[in-house]
Amino acid sequence: MSSKHQNKRLKWSLDAVRNRSLTEGLAPPPAYSLSGPAVSSEVSKKTDVSRLITKKSWDLALAPLKQVPMNLFIMYMAGNSISIFPIMMVGMLLMRPIQAIWATKSTFKMVENTSAVGQIFVYLLGNFINIGLALYKCQSMGLLPTHSSDWLAFVEPPVRLEYLGGGVTLL
Amino acid sequence: MANFRSIIATISITIISISLSNALYEDQVGKFDWKRSFIGKVKHARFDNKRLIVTSHENVVASLSLKNDQILWRQVMENPQEQQPLHLHVDKDVITVSGNRNNHYVRGWDSPTGSLLWEWVIATEKSADSFWLVKDDTLVHIAPFPGSHMEVTHYNAKTGEVRWKTRKIPETWVGGTNKCAIANPYFVCVSNGQLFWFNVVNSDANTHRSQSVQTLIGESDPGNLHLLEFEGPKPAVLLVRNNNAKVVEVDEETAKALPYSLISNAIYVENAIYQLEANLENPDKLIKVKSLNLLTGQEGLSVEVDYPLGLGGPYIVAGQCRGGVCDLLLSSTDNALTLVRLPEGKVIWTREEALSNIVSVEFFELPVSELDASIEKEFAIASNDVVSMFSHRISTQTRQLYNLVLSGQLLGNSGLVRDEFGLHRIIVVATNVGKLFGIDTLTGSIVWTYRLPNVKPFKDSAMMLLVQRTARYAPLPAQCVLLAEDANTGAGVSFTFDPISGMSQRGIERLGYKIKQAFLLPHEDDDHVKPIVVVASDNAVHVYPDEGRSVVQKHSDTTFLYMLDGTIMRGYKIKANFALTQVWEVNLGPSELVAVSTRPINERVHSQGRVLPDRSVYYKYVNPNLVALATLHDDPIHKHVLSVYLIDGVTGLVLYSASHKKAKGPVHLVHSENWLVYSFFNERFRRNEIVAAELYEGHIQSNSTAFSSFGVSQLPHIQTQSYITPANPVSMTVTLTERGITNKFLLVGMSSGSVVEIPWMLLQPRFADIACGPEESCIPYMPEIPLPAEAIINYNQTLSRIRRIEVAPAKLESTSHVLVHGLDLFYTRVAPSKTFDLLKEDFDHKLIVLVLSGLIIASYVTKYLASKKTLRQAWK
Repeated sequence: MSSKHQNKRLKWSLDAVRNRSLTEGLAPPPAYSLSGPAVSSEVSKKTDVSRLITKKSWDLALAPLKQVPMNLFIMYMAGNSISIFPIMMVGMLLMRPIQAIWATKSTFKMVENTSAVGQIFVYLLGNFINIGLALYKCQSMGLLPTHSSDWLAFVEPPVRLEYLGGGVTLL
Repeated sequence: MANFRSIIATISITIISISLSNALYEDQVGKFDWKRSFIGKVKHARFDNKRLIVTSHENVVASLSLKNDQILWRQVMENPQEQQPLHLHVDKDVITVSGNRNNHYVRGWDSPTGSLLWEWVIATEKSADSFWLVKDDTLVHIAPFPGSHMEVTHYNAKTGEVRWKTRKIPETWVGGTNKCAIANPYFVCVSNGQLFWFNVVNSDANTHRSQSVQTLIGESDPGNLHLLEFEGPKPAVLLVRNNNAKVVEVDEETAKALPYSLISNAIYVENAIYQLEANLENPDKLIKVKSLNLLTGQEGLSVEVDYPLGLGGPYIVAGQCRGGVCDLLLSSTDNALTLVRLPEGKVIWTREEALSNIVSVEFFELPVSELDASIEKEFAIASNDVVSMFSHRISTQTRQLYNLVLSGQLLGNSGLVRDEFGLHRIIVVATNVGKLFGIDTLTGSIVWTYRLPNVKPFKDSAMMLLVQRTARYAPLPAQCVLLAEDANTGAGVSFTFDPISGMSQRGIERLGYKIKQAFLLPHEDDDHVKPIVVVASDNAVHVYPDEGRSVVQKHSDTTFLYMLDGTIMRGYKIKANFALTQVWEVNLGPSELVAVSTRPINERVHSQGRVLPDRSVYYKYVNPNLVALATLHDDPIHKHVLSVYLIDGVTGLVLYSASHKKAKGPVHLVHSENWLVYSFFNERFRRNEIVAAELYEGHIQSNSTAFSSFGVSQLPHIQTQSYITPANPVSMTVTLTERGITNKFLLVGMSSGSVVEIPWMLLQPRFADIACGPEESCIPYMPEIPLPAEAIINYNQTLSRIRRIEVAPAKLESTSHVLVHGLDLFYTRVAPSKTFDLLKEDFDHKLIVLVLSGLIIASYVTKYLASKKTLRQAWK
């Protein structure tokens, strides 16, 4: 067993030179670098944080888009009838993206990276898609004044150009 | 399935109609409605102890109280145009004979309750002006045939059984109505200077007696003589010669004239004859009652009567004396009925029976109160002086405060002021006899009256009330004009008055020409007076007032006129030189014009279209110049054919026409907004039908800013639908509101005496290609219109002989005023969309104020307590 071990060790032994001094100490094991790992670990630490921020900001930017399927499901479930819950839901659907758009700056404040334009763009796009969905819902519920009948009450009666008098003769 | 659907439809209609019609709660009865009952001009009257029994020209039997002007009971008989009361006999029961020349109804009434005891009919083939006489329980019918004979029949008054068969008595002296009279049991006639009498009751007598008039009155020239009935202690008649009357007593052998002369209107009550005389000495009491002793003619008492000034000339109808107190019933030329008590000459009550025949109605806004007027004046005065404006403001506001404290007293002093919602109004009413009334809408009391002597309505059916200026222009009073016809000459009469006070500055103006047509211009002159254009019979154009001529001139190219002469309709244009030029003519053929309707002048259409279920708009065709006409003509196959036309009154363009075969009147037409509703009797199915037609422009409005009758690009689309009514309509109209936002109700007066509101939604024609159901908020079509009891606006107060229903908008958008007139007068308010702009009557103002003030106080208290607590804690 031991000889075999010896053999194996020998197999990888590079000790062709017997006269190596003890002061040199032991050579570092293969694939061990005294400097390399320190440098590389430092670099990796740095890139990790920036990557994390990017990742996080992308998460933020994509959150509205991720809500879309959920919103679609809610819209489907709410139905088209005008009653308190569907109205509340539609209100939420509409209000949340608008609030989010207003709060874009503060949302991206923690991301101090200057290169977040793309994320902001995607974020806004997602919110606009949500607003669009909410408007579509309003439209399908008939809450948008898009028909001529919605403006009928504001139509002024036409001015009368001729005036007529008379009746059956009194003779 | 179809059955199930019809059940669903019925249920949905019932629910919808119940929710649409707003019935009254029991405690609301009489809160804003009132009813006045009338009997018409009195024909016969008898006193029956503590009550009066009368019959009237309206073919009504009624009992009146002697204490006040109340009707104890009233029974309405057949149509007065065809039948009239002919005889009234009051004994144990009340017996009336009414009818025309051929058919007579004999009825017995229970005098305390007015219930019908018996009724039987006399039908004769030959027609004559009959005389009637009741002796014991025998009714004698005398039918004179002047110059030849008379027919006398005796009946049992209760059963109608013939006691003595018709006798033909050949007497050549028999005359007509005013040449003969009844002097129970004799039938007396005057003929060729001779007085003849014949006992019609007694079976023994079968020859007449006669005496020359000359021997009776002692004058050689008998002149123009006629006879009047006179109920004395002995059988007697009044022989009238040149307004000079003598009592002639008749017995089996001779006739004897009493030795004094009377005026023709004299009655006998308990040993004395009463007659009226003009009192020239006292200008406050114009009428004097004189009594004469029956036998000697000696003058007894002479009493000045406290006769009301506004009434017409009186005459005595009946009288009664009990224990030294005599009651006389006077009727006057303006149909008023007055009960006078002697010997004081006091008027116990007066009934204005002219109101039973109204020909024209107008609602008037009241002027603002003095206080409001003074506030308005503040802005009217264009002074920049700070001191004077300040003092003015202070003085007005002091007065305001003063009024607020003493508001109750002020209201009592000047009740006729405008209220917030325009619910308090004055109804000005013109009656057939030419008397004008101002009626308060809140109480139904008569505020003022004005009698126009010798005035009658045009064609006996219409007078024109035209509103020249409303009370809106504060310092200027409201102004209204009445146009009517002179009773003697037939020429036009105009009367300008202030409708709020009933005062007239100029009085009656006789125009000196016949009025063919008249209308009010919509444009005001500098004094805010709308001029009246009157067309004389020779087509000359007159304008009142004269200042209005410039207004007419200015608007002459936009002013048009149409006139219907029979079934020929002519359109005219008024030229700037005040001449009429005929523009067009439409001849509707040989038929009879039965109904005409135009849109109410002050109607406003709020919504310009109808919203379809797909949310698109179908625009209405709203033509303010449309005239709706209905004609009936005979047809050899279809009996009668009813034709309905919609004609543009400016261009003469026939926009729509429809005809119904086997249709009969009465036809009632209502035209409002873009629709037309008419009712007629279908002879084929023997039922009343109502047809609704609606006019639409289509999905695109051709001109949304201005409407001109000349700008016709295409004819309107017309939707129609017809319905069955389970009742018989006698009058129809539509509600009117200030801005036209509120739904429309059709008010239909029924022959049963009820006025029913039918929502226009129920009648509105449904589109054939569009689904109709609750989802589309559309009531499915049902041929029969439901008339639920909740829809009767006069609840259980039956209205007799409804003639017309008048409607006016209140200032409150939800409400309109309704006045139903006929034999009765009924006023109420209707709110077709319920009172959406008004808090409920039972709204608890006190509770709200209490809760609010409680909360405010509580918040202050807690604030104080909280601050105290924080202070205490800070010290700890």
